[in-house]
Amino acid sequence: MSKPLLRARNLHKSYMMGREPLRVLKGASFDAEEGEFVVITGSSGSGKSTLLHVLGALDVPDRGTVEFDGRSLFDLADVARRRYRSHDVGFVFQFYHLLPECNVLENVLMARLVACSFWGWRQVRRQARHEAEELLERLGLSERLRHRPNELSGGERQRVAIARALINHPALLLADEPTGNLDTEVGRDILRLLTELNVAGQTIVMVTHDAKVAAHAHRYVRLSSGVIRKVESPADGRVSTGSAAKETIP
Amino acid sequence: MYKWFLASRYLYTKLIALFGVAAVTLCVAMVLVVLSVMGGFLDTVRSRSRGLHSEIVLEGGTLQGFPYYGEFGEHIQAEYPDLVDVTTPAIYTYAIFRVPATTWTKPARVLGVRLNDYVKVNDFQKGLHYDRYYPGTTRLGLQGIPVAGVVEPGTDAGRLPDAGTFRLPPDLEAANERWRLEETDPEAIRGFDVSPFQRAPFPYVTPAILGERVYSVDYGPPRYEGPEHYGVIVGCDLLNQRRDDGDFNRFLARGGDIALTLMPLSRTGTATGEPPIRVPLRYVDDSRTGIYEIDSLCVYVDFDMLQHKLAMDPQALVAGGHTPSRANQLLIGLKDGVDINAARDLIGQEWLRFYGSLLPEIHDVDALAMRNAEVYTWEDLQRPFIQAVEKEKVLVTFLFSLISMVAIVLIGCIFYMIVEKKTRDIGILKSLGASGRGVAGLFIVYAGAVGLVGTVLGTGLGATVVWYINDIQDFLAYLNPQLRVWSPDVYSFDKIPNVVKLPDALWIASLAVLSSIVGSLIPAWIAGRVWPVSALRYE
Repeated sequence: MSKPLLRARNLHKSYMMGREPLRVLKGASFDAEEGEFVVITGSSGSGKSTLLHVLGALDVPDRGTVEFDGRSLFDLADVARRRYRSHDVGFVFQFYHLLPECNVLENVLMARLVACSFWGWRQVRRQARHEAEELLERLGLSERLRHRPNELSGGERQRVAIARALINHPALLLADEPTGNLDTEVGRDILRLLTELNVAGQTIVMVTHDAKVAAHAHRYVRLSSGVIRKVESPADGRVSTGSAAKETIP
Repeated sequence: MYKWFLASRYLYTKLIALFGVAAVTLCVAMVLVVLSVMGGFLDTVRSRSRGLHSEIVLEGGTLQGFPYYGEFGEHIQAEYPDLVDVTTPAIYTYAIFRVPATTWTKPARVLGVRLNDYVKVNDFQKGLHYDRYYPGTTRLGLQGIPVAGVVEPGTDAGRLPDAGTFRLPPDLEAANERWRLEETDPEAIRGFDVSPFQRAPFPYVTPAILGERVYSVDYGPPRYEGPEHYGVIVGCDLLNQRRDDGDFNRFLARGGDIALTLMPLSRTGTATGEPPIRVPLRYVDDSRTGIYEIDSLCVYVDFDMLQHKLAMDPQALVAGGHTPSRANQLLIGLKDGVDINAARDLIGQEWLRFYGSLLPEIHDVDALAMRNAEVYTWEDLQRPFIQAVEKEKVLVTFLFSLISMVAIVLIGCIFYMIVEKKTRDIGILKSLGASGRGVAGLFIVYAGAVGLVGTVLGTGLGATVVWYINDIQDFLAYLNPQLRVWSPDVYSFDKIPNVVKLPDALWIASLAVLSSIVGSLIPAWIAGRVWPVSALRYE
């Protein structure tokens, strides 16, 4: 059995809703192996996004551990955790979350800019720009480099967000409802793109409430009431490029 | 790197930032205008205060004066040839100033000076009116009344000659010719030429007229007439009428009669018992230092004449011998490049030594007068006046800077709104690995950029206002005379100071950028603390 790239154990997370605590994660555990495409499904409010945020170190669990490549994320220093967010993981959000003042190319380069110092950027900017243009060309956006987000369609925006997530060559891509804000056809294009990326070796963990999306994954897990309830293989018998996935169901 | 990139991008894409820029611009312009005008005001006061004094003044401190001033002047010139350039005594007293042809009487401060030396120790000559157009003709010695006339009277009897044919006595005409040759400003010559001779029909007194050359004129030959009297230079505001444009209406023709009534004092400072002395004088010029308090009070006469009239020259003693002559000040001009404060200290010590060396021989009254005398720099003497303006400058600058603090609060409000509006962007940046400190830095850089742009614009605006402030005032006064806020009548200066000093501009610019950054600190701190998840969920 190969070692999981991402390993989450017994995650608990609650928020205060007024004066009452709202328990969102109640001991969720989850593994993702290298090269795997895992879909996390669940109804609205089941804690999917919270789980994804914790996995991406955007949020801190009340209890439980997340290990990435054998390192416990929440035992890391703040600097190392920021490095994890900038280098090891890429995020794709439902609402794209592009910077409206920047054009397509700049939005993609932003992930690299954040990772560079003023002087460091001067050394890598030519290479970074070349990589970004190449990536955007692969995603079919070579004609849109100078366009602002408000000049793009939903599908194009999401592809820009994917390009931004990939520019630093992260080991893990976390996608939070990437098709949730797109019509069916465009959503399908995005899923096809993610599948292609996975086939090329990109590990992807995607959250969605749409069970049909799960067909694109090696497997999907179902999150219900803050715990992983069910693990299923996709109906179309898609072949994984990675190892078989395992979850611990409490 | 993203901080610089995004700050520059926000700067020209966020409309709200323009309000910050506008606030900084206006504040910088306001403070720059205030500081420049007040600074210029102070500089003008300072330079004009300097105009009447030498660098170093040995000041008697009493109206009756102190003795051995001349000996001390020669002594320090001999002892310190590298330090002392020239020394000249001065007497001051108070008198009743009167224009005999009219009923005008005014109090006046009378300064007795040796004009040739006096103009070497200060800028007095620059403020003389007639001496500019007739260089070298302003003298305080005995002289008659210059009368302009026709060169060949009676050649065309019965017909009045043209104004252009009037001529002054040859020495004045020659002096005027010298000025014409040396004057580099053709406008000045043109202005002089279009100003006709002003006739002074009634004993040298004219109606209120504006004129460069107010002389008595008739159809006789150019000449000097009337009894010879000592000359007097009169403070321009004492005799003339200042107009709104800063120029003067003159009433008295050059050479007209002036009378001073003096009260001589003995060595001990008591009145001599004689009736006050009336001294007839010739008005030879008017002096303009630019300080109303001086120009409306002071008249300048010949030192030796005044010394004699005030009985400050050697007086025979009943017991035999004479009293030493007295003066109120010894003005000491220094060589170029000498440290004025060090020179004051050195000359002060020398004065004490000189006084000590004379002590065994001199009368107690003279010793007391010498002991009272002290050495000052011109700035020491003018300090009360200059300090008042300095404090005024500091106060006004402080008040306007306080008002400018509003800009800091405004920047704070604007950036708080920007941070609120950019919460999602903050979440995005943090999801990309940006630190809280980095995000805070982004808003600080942004505020610095807003401050910098506002400062550049404000400096440009402020400098333009300062440079054209007199034109602006003229325009406002044209619209409504009540809007003329800088009246030469009140401020004594003709023009509002309109020089922007680079150090002032740099100081204000630095402070403005710093203020903008300070204003953004709290919003930046808030931005840095935003939790990425809550920022991404922010609606």
